[in-house]
Parts: sequence; C-alpha cells; structure tokens
Amino acid sequence: MKRAHAGLAAGLLPVLLAAPPLQRMLEASMTAQMLVQIPLLAIAGMLLGKSLPESAANRIQPWNRGGATGLIVVTFASACWMLPLSLDAAVVSPAADLAKFLTIPLLIGLPLASSWPRMSFVLRGVLLFEALATLFRMGWLYLISPVRLCNSYGLSDQQRLGEWLLMAGTALLLCIAWQLLWGSPKAAAGAAGPPGLRAGRPA
Amino acid sequence: MSALYPQTEALSSRERAVLNLYAISALAVFLLLMLFGLAMRAAQGRWINISPQVFYQLMTAHGAGMVGTVGLASSAIMWFFLRKYVRLSTAMFVANYLLFLLGAVLILAAVFIGGFGGAWTFLYPLPVHTMGIWSINAAAVFMLGYLVIGVGFLLFYLDAMLAVMRVYGNLGRALGWQWLFGGTIDKSHPTTVVASTMVIIVNTLGILGGAVVLVMCLVNAYVPRFPLDALLVKNLIYFFGHVFVNCSIYMAVIGVYELLPRYSGRPWGVSRPFLWAWAASTVMVLIVYPHHLMMDYVMPHWMLVTGQIISYTSGLPVFLVTAYGALTNVYRSGMRWRMPAMLIVLSMFGWAAGIVPAIVDGTIAVNVVMHNTMWVPGHFHFYLLLGVLPMVLAFLYHVAGGSSRSLETAGDRLSLAVYLIAGLAFVGMFLAGGRASEPRRYAVHFAEWLPYDRAASIAAALVIAAMLLFAIRISGALLKAGSGEKGSGEVPAHLPG
Repeated sequence: MKRAHAGLAAGLLPVLLAAPPLQRMLEASMTAQMLVQIPLLAIAGMLLGKSLPESAANRIQPWNRGGATGLIVVTFASACWMLPLSLDAAVVSPAADLAKFLTIPLLIGLPLASSWPRMSFVLRGVLLFEALATLFRMGWLYLISPVRLCNSYGLSDQQRLGEWLLMAGTALLLCIAWQLLWGSPKAAAGAAGPPGLRAGRPA
Repeated sequence: MSALYPQTEALSSRERAVLNLYAISALAVFLLLMLFGLAMRAAQGRWINISPQVFYQLMTAHGAGMVGTVGLASSAIMWFFLRKYVRLSTAMFVANYLLFLLGAVLILAAVFIGGFGGAWTFLYPLPVHTMGIWSINAAAVFMLGYLVIGVGFLLFYLDAMLAVMRVYGNLGRALGWQWLFGGTIDKSHPTTVVASTMVIIVNTLGILGGAVVLVMCLVNAYVPRFPLDALLVKNLIYFFGHVFVNCSIYMAVIGVYELLPRYSGRPWGVSRPFLWAWAASTVMVLIVYPHHLMMDYVMPHWMLVTGQIISYTSGLPVFLVTAYGALTNVYRSGMRWRMPAMLIVLSMFGWAAGIVPAIVDGTIAVNVVMHNTMWVPGHFHFYLLLGVLPMVLAFLYHVAGGSSRSLETAGDRLSLAVYLIAGLAFVGMFLAGGRASEPRRYAVHFAEWLPYDRAASIAAALVIAAMLLFAIRISGALLKAGSGEKGSGEVPAHLPG
C-alpha cells in the first residue's frame, strides 16, 4: 500500500468507526467492541505508522532500539483496554470513548507498526506467544465468571466473547503453526539465512 | 581433534564457561535432590523422623526440581550438538540458565520459607486450600517460579527455532517431512536437527499450556470469585508436565545419536522410518497426556480410551528407532567401551525397561488399581534414573573427558556398576511396593511396607555415593579443561561470524 493511501485510510477509518450508527452497533455488544472495533482502531494506528515519512521514522528509531520501547507502550496500552472496566467506561463516558479512539491507534497500532520491523525474531515470538496466552486466558476468564464484569453488557454476551476469544486464539495458533511448519523461509525467519550454512542443505 | 572430538564442536572460552555452569549446577542440584529423596524414603522406613509437613515440602522440591533440572541438563546437550548445524545465540543460552536459576530460587523459597507442600503438580484447589500450612503468597511464588523457568526455555527454543529456519527454511523441512512419502533422503540431514525441531515444536506448545494455566491459577489465588474447573486445570497441568518431561528425554537422546556412532565407529544417519518415527511422536506426545487422568471418572470416556491407545504407541516410534538403531550400531562394531559408551548403553536399557511399567499403568483396567501406588514412581524413576540421567552423564563424561583417558579409571567403572545395581534395587523397591499396594505420596507407612522403604533407602544411599563420585570427577575435569584452555572466543570456523 502506498504511503498516501495508508495515510488516507488511517484518517478515514477512525472517522468511519466514530459515525454514530456504526459506533452504536459496534458498542452494543461486548464481543463486537472487543473483537471488531478495537482491532480496527489498532489497524488505523498501524496504517498511520505506514504513512509516516521516512525522516520521521528515522527520528524515532534511536528511542526505539530493537522495538523495545514500542513494545512496552503496546503492552501497557493493550492491558488497559483488555479490562472490562475500560470497555464499560467507553460505553457510558464520552471522555473514555474519546480516550479509546485516541489511545488505541496512537499507543497500540502506531508503536506496533514502527516496532515490529525492528524487533528480533525472539522478541516477536515472545509477543505472539503472550498474545496467544492472553487470548486463551481472557477467553477462559470471561467464560467462567459467574457475574457480569461490565454493567453495560449481559452475562451471555460476556460468555460469547469468551468463546470468541478462545476461537481467535486457536485460529491464531493454527496460522502461526502453519507458517512455521510449511511457510516460506523469509516470512518465517524474518531474515535471510547465513549463506555458508544454506548451501547444500535439504533439497 | 580426533574423531571423538571433531573441530566443529570446539568451544570458545565463553561457551565452555556457560556449559560448565549448566553441567556443574545440574550435578550439584541432582545430588541435593537425591538427598531429599533419600530423606523421604528413610522417613517412610521410620529410620529418621521428619514431620509430614516437611515430608511434603521435600516431595514438592524433589519433584519440581528433578523435572526442571533434567530439562536444564538436557537442553545443554541439545545446545552443544545443535550449534554444529545452526548458529545459536550463547546469550539466549545464558538467559535460559539465569531465568532457571531465578525460578529455582523462587520455588525453593516458596517451599522452604513459605512452607508450600502441594507437590510439583500444584493441582487446583490444593494450592489455595492451604489449611494454614502455607500462605496464598507461598503458593503464588511457587507458580511464579514455574513461569520464570518457562520464559527461559521459551527464549532458548525461539532462538533455536530461528536458527533452524534460517538453515532449513521451515520446521517441516528440518523435520525431513519432505521425504516422508518419497524422494531421495539426504543422508547427511542431521538426526540432531530432527530431534531438536520436534522438541522446539512440542515444548513450545507445552509451555503455552503451562503459561495459560499458571496465570489462571494465580488469578484465582487472589481473585477467588473466578472459580476454576479443577478438571480442566488438571488437564492443562498434565499436558505441559508430560510434554516437558518427554522433551527432556528427547533432548538427551540427541547425545545418543551424536556420541554412540563415534564410539562404535558406525554412522547413524536418517532413514524414512526414522523420520516417520519422529513425525509420529511430534503429534502423539501432545495427545497422550490423558493417561495421567484415568482415575478421573468424569473425564470424557473417549479421551481416556485415546489416552490408553496413544500410551501404547506414543513413546514407541522414537524409542524403537533409537533402541533398535543403537543395538545395530553396537552389534559387532568393535565398540570402544569407554565411560560415555557404557552409560549410553545403560541409558537405552533404562529407557526401554522403564517404558514397560509405564505402558502397564497406561492400561485403564490396571491404572484404576495401580495408579495411586508406588508403581508409578517406580516407572518414572526407572526411565529417569536409569535412562535419562545416564544419557546426561554420558554427555558430560564425553565433554569432560577430552581426548585423554583421565576419566576412565577403575573407580569410575566401579561407580557405574554400583549406580546400575543400586539404581535397579531402588526402582525395584518402588515397583515391588506398588505390587504390595503401597500407596504413593504417603508420609507415614504401615509396618508391612517398611522393608521396601528401608531397602530403597540403602539403595538410594549407594546411588548417591556413585553420583557423588561422578559429579566430583566430571566437575573437576570440566574446570581443569576450562582453566587450561586459552579459548579464542571466536565462532567456529565452519559457521558464519
């Protein structure tokens, strides 16, 4: 995607998501808010990252060696938006809703886009591993909680979200496993292998 | 450099220092935990008097510690041989060690300061139903220790995964799956890479299961309004526990593939049955764990049946290609019967014989009678004490021995004989105790069971004496080799810098 297109999409996506009918629809259920609206806002931030001029990206780089700083920001911001309290607040409080529309693109999507290419394979692996574990843990918690964790949503919605999170975790696990077992080397390892070792290796 | 010690395995001074840390720490911890085991058996035999609370603390530390330390020692074997074929990071190997150390300190603190005695299995709800014996914090620190150790292994496996994929493209090709159904097999494809890749895959999944269930148990410990399903927790604990222990064996088996051909003088290459065996075990080791839950009558019936069937088949493919391969490798080979070779052959016997009572216990009809008896510690002590530990010792004797015969004295051979005979007597007492319906995990025994406990105590003391000599000899030789070597710290010549 070209930089200008990415910038346009990054600007349009949050506006579209903030449009009252769509926002009402996505915030009407816990599942849609957590698994559709929030990921789309994060994608808007990632597109914003892609649209940044190279000079801006280079200026950030010394502050984000190996993607570590960005990873820390992403981790803490994601942890905040995983809490039922935050989801609830975003529905009932316009200020919290505004915070959601600002912090998810800027503190999750954007740093993720700028950090991911700088991260080592091991760091990416740890991030994906933890993402998988979190999906399974959150899904499990939402399924077993005997009480509603959000005032705005019913127990059945909460349990449905739990099921979806478990399914999302399973799907992500299968995708990663497929890529590692049968994927192309460049995509899988993220870097070209040492030529001395590659020569003469399996057909 | 001789055929026994190829140039490609040369260690830089930094690598040698790290390997020494792994080796000497593992030997020291093995000895300490063996003493805990002796104390438990002697207490059951009423030769020493320890309170039941201390007994369960010792049992918890012994179980968690032995499994973890075998994993640590085996990972050193995998690292040592895998780095010949792919470029591994020494920093990640160090990180694994340091995180293991931190995890071990947390576990020991939880057990001996916090009083946690809920066994290595920390089965819900025992850790949080403390009955005033330990605190919730002690249980949490114990579980946190597991998590930290898991992170260390995860880093090690991710680094190995990257290194393998850089050379072979993806994990499927490293496992040789492109040759499963046809094609000309590249005979130079390393057995070490196949075994390591299998371990990377299944143990990463095992650690994932552990990471999920441990955090859920921690959440429940502090927020009890999230009630856990005890059966699901047990499933996940045994999933990751079973996978971890099996991977410890498979990492140690790499040493057998690498070392036995050097002492027999015969190559040991890959073949289609070999690749099929490892492919089958990759799947089966992940689904066999229900054989630990056959007494849980509420388990879905199909899972228990699966557990029984897969129990019969899970370990067999890799075991058969390894044991059969070892026998054909040794037979009329003019074997050089040095300490590593003898220990490897002992390990094949221990692994093989240890599988038999495991398969017997994996049968539902037997399991309902035998599973809570000493039969089960009998089977896992058999293949750990006489199977995996000799693999580790063989590797360490090989590395420490250098090209000299300084570790080939009559004392070493006598220790090996003592280790074998006393080890057999020790596990035999477990199995015989199981046959006599002696329950496991009981701190106090009836008078009728004392002969088994006392005989086991004597055997354990002899095993420890032999192990002490092994540890002193190996540690001394490793430190001597380390101080005498000038080590360039450079990457071996065959690997890109």
